[in-house]
Amino acid sequence: MLVKNSKTDDTENETEKLHETLQEIKDQEGIIGYILRGSKSASIDLKDPTKIIDYAVLSSTTFDTAQEMTEALQMGEIDTIIVESEETKLLSMTTNNHRLSIFMEKSVDHNKLYKRLK
Amino acid sequence: MNRDSYAIALNSAMTEIQKAYPDINNSFIFTKTGTIINGNKETDQQTMNNVQEAFENLKEKAKAIGDLKRFKITGKNGNLTLSKINDMYLVLATSKNADKAHVYAITHVIIPTIIKTLESFDSTHLQSTSTQKKLVVDTLTGFFAGDSVQIDTEILTEWTKNSDPRARVKAAITREPDMQDGVSQVHIETFGGNAAVCKVKEIDDQNVKGKNMIRIPEKLCKSLEISKGDLVKVSPAV
Repeated sequence: MLVKNSKTDDTENETEKLHETLQEIKDQEGIIGYILRGSKSASIDLKDPTKIIDYAVLSSTTFDTAQEMTEALQMGEIDTIIVESEETKLLSMTTNNHRLSIFMEKSVDHNKLYKRLK
Repeated sequence: MNRDSYAIALNSAMTEIQKAYPDINNSFIFTKTGTIINGNKETDQQTMNNVQEAFENLKEKAKAIGDLKRFKITGKNGNLTLSKINDMYLVLATSKNADKAHVYAITHVIIPTIIKTLESFDSTHLQSTSTQKKLVVDTLTGFFAGDSVQIDTEILTEWTKNSDPRARVKAAITREPDMQDGVSQVHIETFGGNAAVCKVKEIDDQNVKGKNMIRIPEKLCKSLEISKGDLVKVSPAV
């Protein structure tokens, strides 16, 4: 008899759903791409593949920097991180035990994306 | 305005801002080279160092998307906003429910205005006092007189250090050497009201060096209506 682990199924379903949502988001205007990193796998989808390494390093550094700063200032667990340059911004967050970074043009409303992914 | 007075002015401003906006838990400013200018009483040096060091690493990696302008963290117990203002970075850690409009006003209006004002004070001060020199005219004659005036090396060196108020402010804050280029042109004003801008060189005649003199080509002396022995006001041309 096969006994299904319902918790694992739920997690897998949520991850699948997350991938679907990210695919929809990726097609929105102003979205440059995303990096999703779990404990065992990672998916990267960027419009410009030459930037994969730089963006992956930035995504990872963003989480590390935020962690160090929130510890130093006792801000508690992180909800969202935003990194902004003149024209581009990055929304980083943890969702469904995955570290997600979405790269976008500055004009994109990141709050809407956050609400969708929360 | 030296580093201490600049820091005191900024510190006073930050203290007043904190009184007006009690949602601010921590605040401090550091320069793009990492020198911490000031912080509020609630933020110890170690915390400021930790935040600044963590940021340096991110700033480098963020070049992948351009020059980093803002970094924001929303945490369970509070928010952090790190904003680039001119060549400085303002760190504001606020309580969870801090008014976003207030934080925006501080980072986009109040602090930039204060920094700009401090720089303009310094600019006025410099223009009116330290850069202008009263020098005695000596005429340059002959075929090789050229069209440049000649001034003591020491004066040119002093101007090189002080001529750009913004650079001077930064140097004062950071205690780092001011690396701007040398002065290439000067503004000459006579007490009769005539003025001219012309190229400048170091005095090459050993007999005239160190005598607070300016050697001016004869042709220019005529147009400025001055002659040997007259006093003129000289400052670096911006």
